[in-house]
Amino acid sequence: MAEDKAKTSRRDFLKGAAMGLAGGALATMGIYSYSPWRTRHFAKVERKLADIGVCKSLKIANISETSWFDNATLMGDIKGAGGLLVNQYDYNWPPFGDGSGLGKGSYEKGIAKIKHLLPDRLGEAWDIIVANSVNPRNAGGYAALLEVEELNGKKHKYLLDTGWSYKWTDECFKREGIDKMLANREIEALFISHEHFDHFWGLPVTLKYDPTITMYVPEGFYPEGLQYVKDSGHKGELIKVQPGLKKHIPGMASFVFAIPIICRVYGEQSMYFNIKDKGLVSVTGCCHQSIIQFAETAYREIKYENDNLYGVYGGLHISPFEDWDPKYDDLVISLGKYGFEKIGCNHCTGILCAKKFIAAGYPVVRGSARFRSKDTAYLGNGDKISFGV
Amino acid sequence: MEMERFGTNYLEERKLVKRWQGPIPAIVCLLFTLAIFYATWWIFQDPRGWMRMYTPYVGYMYTRWWLIVLIWMAYIFQYWPFRRRWLEKTHPLLKGIVLTAVSVVVLLLLIKGFFEALLGHYGLAYFNPKELLKLPGITEFFAIEYAALACLMFAAIASWLSPAWIVACEEAPWQDLRQPAKGISIWIMTFFLSTLIYFMTMHSHMGILYYPWQYFTSIAPPYWEKFANTVSGNFHVSWIMCCTVSVWLTETIWERYPFSLIKRNNLRRVVAFFGIIAIAFAMHFFLYFAQELTWGPAIRGTRRAFAPDWRWLHVGEMAVFFLVPALFVTFYCGNWPKKYSLPVNVLVRTGITIVAATLLYIFYYKTSHLFLGTQKGFSHPQQFPMIPTIWLINIWLVHHWFMDNWPGWKMVPKTADEIARDHAEHEAMIREVKWNPALGWGVGVGAVAGVALFFVTVWVLPILFDAITIIK
Repeated sequence: MAEDKAKTSRRDFLKGAAMGLAGGALATMGIYSYSPWRTRHFAKVERKLADIGVCKSLKIANISETSWFDNATLMGDIKGAGGLLVNQYDYNWPPFGDGSGLGKGSYEKGIAKIKHLLPDRLGEAWDIIVANSVNPRNAGGYAALLEVEELNGKKHKYLLDTGWSYKWTDECFKREGIDKMLANREIEALFISHEHFDHFWGLPVTLKYDPTITMYVPEGFYPEGLQYVKDSGHKGELIKVQPGLKKHIPGMASFVFAIPIICRVYGEQSMYFNIKDKGLVSVTGCCHQSIIQFAETAYREIKYENDNLYGVYGGLHISPFEDWDPKYDDLVISLGKYGFEKIGCNHCTGILCAKKFIAAGYPVVRGSARFRSKDTAYLGNGDKISFGV
Repeated sequence: MEMERFGTNYLEERKLVKRWQGPIPAIVCLLFTLAIFYATWWIFQDPRGWMRMYTPYVGYMYTRWWLIVLIWMAYIFQYWPFRRRWLEKTHPLLKGIVLTAVSVVVLLLLIKGFFEALLGHYGLAYFNPKELLKLPGITEFFAIEYAALACLMFAAIASWLSPAWIVACEEAPWQDLRQPAKGISIWIMTFFLSTLIYFMTMHSHMGILYYPWQYFTSIAPPYWEKFANTVSGNFHVSWIMCCTVSVWLTETIWERYPFSLIKRNNLRRVVAFFGIIAIAFAMHFFLYFAQELTWGPAIRGTRRAFAPDWRWLHVGEMAVFFLVPALFVTFYCGNWPKKYSLPVNVLVRTGITIVAATLLYIFYYKTSHLFLGTQKGFSHPQQFPMIPTIWLINIWLVHHWFMDNWPGWKMVPKTADEIARDHAEHEAMIREVKWNPALGWGVGVGAVAGVALFFVTVWVLPILFDAITIIK
């Protein structure tokens, strides 16, 4: 009898405890989890304040920001091939067209048609590409020339990205004198921001003029991309940059973000420049990690002049296809509090976004809309911007 | 002559008899459904596959709406117009094919007919890609994506409210109607409520997709901006997905407990409806907090894993990971365990679900890019784990509701005695756990333990996250 009672009370206790446990846990979850008290559990941000040195100035020449000329054509291709997650090497875009049609290509079949012509006979290669690719004349590309001056007056030139269309990239290189700089070995290295077609596939044009150039690519390149570096005739050093901070010369560092990107690309490398008496300048290819993430990373990781975020140059990947999403408004609303004094945006920032920046009163440097750039709302092809000059 | 009942109470009145002993039927069914999942994934969704609907929003929209159509067919219309005899006598494979085909026809009529043709042409332009193309500068691709986004946001709400009217409100006040009158009544009610909530939660999101913001037709900036730290409607996607998950946890592994303890019918229904929302909000806030604890606080204006809008979306994604094991436990494991009292059974199943969901989450992010045609990473801007998880759930629903768990189980209609015994056992189970003072000590100790469990979890989460490398 007593045993039965004990058994009953034990069962009652367990029943009650199960009820109470679920109720107590759920109630605390609901009341505490989004309350102001929760912030006590957040780890305090310890600034690493890594010293990347200081440089005197940075000049940037926009070689090309027009990665494609007609948005509807590009998005039509993306739609026809199956959307934003399809492998970029499968689109049958130039230079990897094999004649089989949209969404049916591959790196191997495409490169087989032109490999023997790279990097020196690009004119012949381009004729083959035009005959076999989907919308070859829509291809443009992104590339910028960075000129850094050290405090002692020593100057360095670097290329950030190398365009897409061989024809367009070569025209732009000639327009800005990049061909001669490369041939004279004035440009010390080529930084590839990420593996996307419009930043990387014009590689043979750079290698035509300087096949020995040192290349920095972010870790995360797919096998096709690494093979393309070889197939394009690169004879210099290829450095795969690991995620995180990498110092280059005084006042210049790169940072690799391990992030997945549309069209099956992984990893992005962006640049920091610490300008004497001014502050930090962020230079990006597409900035898929977001400019605010880039700024926050700088705050956590490195030391810069006056603790000031001074300027920005490059694509900010907000509305690259002139598309929109309310989360982009979060960026537009929030960017102001970072206090950038000079915003030189273009490319995948999107014209619509640049207009929203201007409407918000941000210091956007306007462009001249030359050489097929479409709007003066941002820095166009052939435009220049300088920091600390 | 007996009146045709169609599928009224079909799911309760069928007895699924294992064809083999032990876990073999569950393993066979798991392999069978996974094979169907992968084949259909390749045909419809995979970016390397045939139709490549994972654009992403088009595939996402069809996945979500298919889930709702299945719920309508099995739960709201109870298989109407299919006759009971057909449901009981037809081979499960044929039944699965026929009912799935019907669901696809309804799905297409709904998307192409209702949303695109009717609503998109005569009401809200953003439901129709052709109307959206009139917007200067928009491409056809994004016109289709925006329309699909609007449609799938509507689906998120319907995926909560459609089953909630059955699970929480117990079909009231139409429970005594015959089909199709009952189905039509509930369908209109849940569709009406979904529309109402859509306007209050998602319409502003769509309104600020345009430049300039559509101040005069939608509230912009939306009212939730300060609270949620974003203008994105993902804040609502988060709690609404938690509602969907919460409804199904209540229906499956919780056996409608604790709401079933309330004796008064109307009170039970009202408490269940709002109780499910309250549980969802607890999940909604906690899963957001869990991300803050592991990745750090969100930063407004940034993108991906640190953006508040993505964090809210990820709450919904995490919640769906809980749904997968919960449904598996109910559909293929006979809602094990059943030998303890109801609260203990519920607690054990919940514990199993939490552990299994965590393991599934790790497995998904560690490996899914190797076989789904996607990329590794938590926060790819165009990848949504809800697509494969809900796609798998859809296949399980087809398998469980339309195919009677074939080939692992065989369906035998229960006899009247068996149905009566089930009801008696259910009543006894409820009676056993109804409140009595002897439970007091247990409840008190349990509540303190529950609070302690919360804080221990908060302490352990960042340590565990640091100890496990999910993505190299």
